[in-house]
Amino acid sequence: MTPRGWRVGIDVGGTFTDIVAVSADGRVASAKATTDTADALAALGQCLSAIGLDWEAVGDLVHGTTRITNAIVEGRLAPVTLIATEGFADVLAIGRQNRRNLYDLSVPPKATPLVPEEGRLEVTERVGPDGAVQVPLEKATITRVVAAVAASGAEAVAVCLLHAYANADHEKALGAALEKTHNHIALSHAISPEAREYERTATTVLSAAVMPSAETYLRQLGDGLPGGINLHMVQSNGGMASPEAMASKPLGLAMSGPAAGVTAVAAVVRDLRIDLALAFDMGGTTTDVSLVRDGEVSITTQRPIGDTPVRQPMVDVRSVGAGGGSIAAVQAGGLTVGPASAGAEPGPAAYGRGGTRATVTDANLALGYLGDGAELGAGNVSLDRAAAQGVVGVIAKELGVDPDAAALGIHRIANAAMARAVQTVTVERGIDARAATLIAYGGAGPIHAVSLARELDIARVVVPRMSSVFSALGCLTARPFYQQQTSFLMQSDAWDTVRLERVIADQAAMLSTALLNAGHARRDLMTEVTALVRYAGQSYAVEVPLDDSGDAQALGRAFLARHTELYGYTTDEIWEIEALRIGVGLKESRNSLISVNSGSGTTATRSETPCLFADAGWVMTPRHDRGSLSTGDRIEGPAIIEDRWSTVVLPPGATLDVTDAGDLLIEVGS
Amino acid sequence: MTTPDPFTIEVIRHGLTQAAEEMSLTVMRAARSPLLREAGDLSSAITDADGLLIAQGRDIPMHMGVMSFTVQEFLKHVPADRLAPGDVWFLNLPEIGGNHLPDVKTIRPVFHDGRPVAYAVSLAHWADIGGAVPGSYVPHATDAWQEGVRMPPFRLFHADGPDREKLDMLLANLRGPAEREGDILAQAAACRGAVERIDAMIARHGAETLRLAIAALHDRSARQMEEALACLPQGTFHGEDFLDDDGHGGPPTAVRVAVTLSNGRARFDFTGTDDAVPGPLNTTRFIAAAGAYYAAKALAGPDIQPNGGLYRQLDIITRPGSLLDPPPDLPVVGGNHETAQRIADAIFLAFRDVLPERLTAGGPTTSGLLLFAGRDSRDRWTTLYEVHGGGEGGQADRDGMPVVRVHMANVMNTPVEVIEQDYPLAVERHALRRGSGGAGRHKGGEGLIRTYRCTGDNVSLTTMFERRIVPPYGLAGGQPGAPFRVTLERADGETLELSGKTHVTLQRGDRVTLESCGGGGWGEPGNTTTSKEPTP
Repeated sequence: MTPRGWRVGIDVGGTFTDIVAVSADGRVASAKATTDTADALAALGQCLSAIGLDWEAVGDLVHGTTRITNAIVEGRLAPVTLIATEGFADVLAIGRQNRRNLYDLSVPPKATPLVPEEGRLEVTERVGPDGAVQVPLEKATITRVVAAVAASGAEAVAVCLLHAYANADHEKALGAALEKTHNHIALSHAISPEAREYERTATTVLSAAVMPSAETYLRQLGDGLPGGINLHMVQSNGGMASPEAMASKPLGLAMSGPAAGVTAVAAVVRDLRIDLALAFDMGGTTTDVSLVRDGEVSITTQRPIGDTPVRQPMVDVRSVGAGGGSIAAVQAGGLTVGPASAGAEPGPAAYGRGGTRATVTDANLALGYLGDGAELGAGNVSLDRAAAQGVVGVIAKELGVDPDAAALGIHRIANAAMARAVQTVTVERGIDARAATLIAYGGAGPIHAVSLARELDIARVVVPRMSSVFSALGCLTARPFYQQQTSFLMQSDAWDTVRLERVIADQAAMLSTALLNAGHARRDLMTEVTALVRYAGQSYAVEVPLDDSGDAQALGRAFLARHTELYGYTTDEIWEIEALRIGVGLKESRNSLISVNSGSGTTATRSETPCLFADAGWVMTPRHDRGSLSTGDRIEGPAIIEDRWSTVVLPPGATLDVTDAGDLLIEVGS
Repeated sequence: MTTPDPFTIEVIRHGLTQAAEEMSLTVMRAARSPLLREAGDLSSAITDADGLLIAQGRDIPMHMGVMSFTVQEFLKHVPADRLAPGDVWFLNLPEIGGNHLPDVKTIRPVFHDGRPVAYAVSLAHWADIGGAVPGSYVPHATDAWQEGVRMPPFRLFHADGPDREKLDMLLANLRGPAEREGDILAQAAACRGAVERIDAMIARHGAETLRLAIAALHDRSARQMEEALACLPQGTFHGEDFLDDDGHGGPPTAVRVAVTLSNGRARFDFTGTDDAVPGPLNTTRFIAAAGAYYAAKALAGPDIQPNGGLYRQLDIITRPGSLLDPPPDLPVVGGNHETAQRIADAIFLAFRDVLPERLTAGGPTTSGLLLFAGRDSRDRWTTLYEVHGGGEGGQADRDGMPVVRVHMANVMNTPVEVIEQDYPLAVERHALRRGSGGAGRHKGGEGLIRTYRCTGDNVSLTTMFERRIVPPYGLAGGQPGAPFRVTLERADGETLELSGKTHVTLQRGDRVTLESCGGGGWGEPGNTTTSKEPTP
């Protein structure tokens, strides 16, 4: 074994940890294990030994984690003291004043603010929207508030002053003073330099609140890993970052897990030369959908996590409450599926752990797609078909239909719910979903992919190589890439190329620091800029790539073309840049994608079992072991392709081809 | 053909709901005026061929109730045989399925086999609809014509695009024509998107299956509502609540309702409500229905899919000549959100003795509207239509939350940083109004304090708010919340309290401080379990 010759991707999810490793000479190993949260470092080591490696063999470790996401969703957050402009300490408690549920009076209308009243401090100062200082921040004020922060005893401090995106001097002065006594400081202009005080404050406070635990985790890894291993983290935007960079901006890890999967989709579709793809990751409780266009992931800065707006560049993943564990319920003669879920505990009735209500997984078992007695995951669950048929039968009885119709119906309604997520991500970007290829991964994705594609009039599905450890594969395809979105107002009739270039250069220099610190040469770096453009007075901007020229006319033409695509009209009015999303990454950029060596010889059929399909009825269906598939194999539906972690359902009329890289290309037919 | 299987029905429900939600998304993203893009004062719906509502976006209850009538009333004036594919019709007349002039509805038919089979409806609040005062809220209006441009149903778009002459005619009567044109195009774009979705559903399922599925969805909601209403106490219950005045500074005006629950139906009889008033607090019978729809759903079945079937179980009776069914020449602009909320309050109060544990004490049932208008550096009209939430009322098991919108309304605030960028205004303070929540076993939420300083010349300010004189009520022995108060401090130091329906001109340096109402308390104060901020 070449010392330090292996690149290793490890994605730690809530339930499973995936690992994929590739050696300098192209050998590939992968494994899946149950996530052990008690000792993170030991758990990573165990993963490594599961594929026969030890730390000595590892050169680069690329790590994705749901740790930060889970901390946010479960509310495991450090207390934060907030410093705000005088008169604005209550911004968090006021929010946007709208309520979550229109009709249910019993539901609290909004979330309780993360910083209680006693933790909200004010300073006398004021900056205008143009960045001009209206009220200076006096030294005495700084001294007083630093003392008050110390007295509050909070572990982390968030500073969010009005219009700090336009002039950050006051925030920087407070930051410098606080640094002497506090380790965990989040300044709003550094976290999210954009207008809209509630969203910026909420993001900054959340950032501060996860800082202590993120830093502890990253330090544990850094201290615990043997020297000589380069540790990289997968960020929410799908890029890699150094642990040091993430310690000061831990919200960059908030969507690390899903981002790794979508990054792998981007790599696969570049390899397969697919222009338009939809990443489709169906889990137990939710399904995540994301758009990949021309091999690039879609980025958003508008997505909340839990109840908190998180204004950071992150992969635009849309979730719907439909997954394998989603519960089917009869109400007034109608059937709904989800969003209530049986989760992993008790799980579907078929798990035999006390689940008593029919779920999507139970329906898929009753339909014959999942194998009776099949062992799931690490082998601690074995599927009980009779139990699944029992609970689906109850639904059938309540509806007055036969059990077959009920099972098919539950499968279909889950598809309808997931179709909405697909339609949302495509409509928002003015794209026709029918032209896309569905890339299905995750535990349940490949079961539903073909029937969902048919529902959406999508012609092709890909179940990619290593689909069951896909996020770990994504870790290995990520490239170093840092990104920031910043407010920048410039109207088309007052264009100032110099000002534009200066802002881009400033931001790029800031973003380059981590890359230069990591030993990369400046000449190897490249800057990517997306302008967020709108008509003067609109609020939602259109994303338009900005080329090197900074040419107003070229940008204007691109904007009008996108606006027509999205909304079907343009006008003669002036337009404006509202914000810039600036990214700096490595030029040589992406690591080439791993292929899976396919076996040779004929495809082995393990068995034949009856499966029920919507248009064909019960059909004897061959079941193939995915590991036995060979390059160039063609399989006509009906067929089931399964391995320990996932099941591909190929209904009659669909055709599957195996590529030499191990991807399964499916023409869904009809 | 028989009713489709329950699975197809559910698949169609998902599809229609998605289409309606996408409409709202499109309007918000493409619209020009901040009221739509920032605050989201808009709603979207799909109706069946008869105009019965079948799907809605996650929007504003007040709009949704009204939109359940819009297409039905429209079809009374424009028979379906006058419609053509690609048409987009605009209308805003209160008496034709409307509420007030600024809320403009667009209707686009979905055609199949030469006949409309469904309608896409977009409602958007236009920041100006003409009339006597910028922003088209005219507190002193004495008739309907002073409130702005009145649009009976008219075809503004054909299949090949807008009718330029009609569009110019309309825009010539509005302040800020460029901004308004953007909003108009956004609404048309939203309707177009919905029609494409429904066309695709027809291609997949067939028009007849779609029709039958819609009928089955109506039936399902009707049956669920019937069951839910039967679970409430049966009998007739009386409730009343009062507007601060008659719109022109006169005495408080009563909304009275007798709610009769029996046999799975609810009857809302507003006959006892006071007569129509001279000021712009009158509203339409469609708003009366919207209030009843909202309250019935909140009380009986928050989770029931709202559609024409649900509404079938409800009967609404208004008295011609009353506040809720006025002669067509009276002004109505404020009634849309002020009187509408009073309708919901009166209905809830009818149950104060029999269902107190289901009710929320009085909250900010007013828009708390300050409407600033002026000209920007390019000499174009800019209008800030800012609604202000207040403290939620307490409930049997929790305190009220601070600063929210309740019941019929759910429009957001505008970020201070956006206000200061876009308008001749600075915001000096944006804070909780401490001590404004009413005492109680569970206290009411705190209201809001916002201080605006005028940084331009000749900025027009219109107020339209309630709960200044009649405060948010307590329930089950709880105390009322602090009433609304808006104070104008002139640059020279002169200070005066502004009434809830007034119009003034601000000059540079003038300050306006808004203190929104606190929520009412629930239960006798005493052994309180209050916390500073309630936890969910």
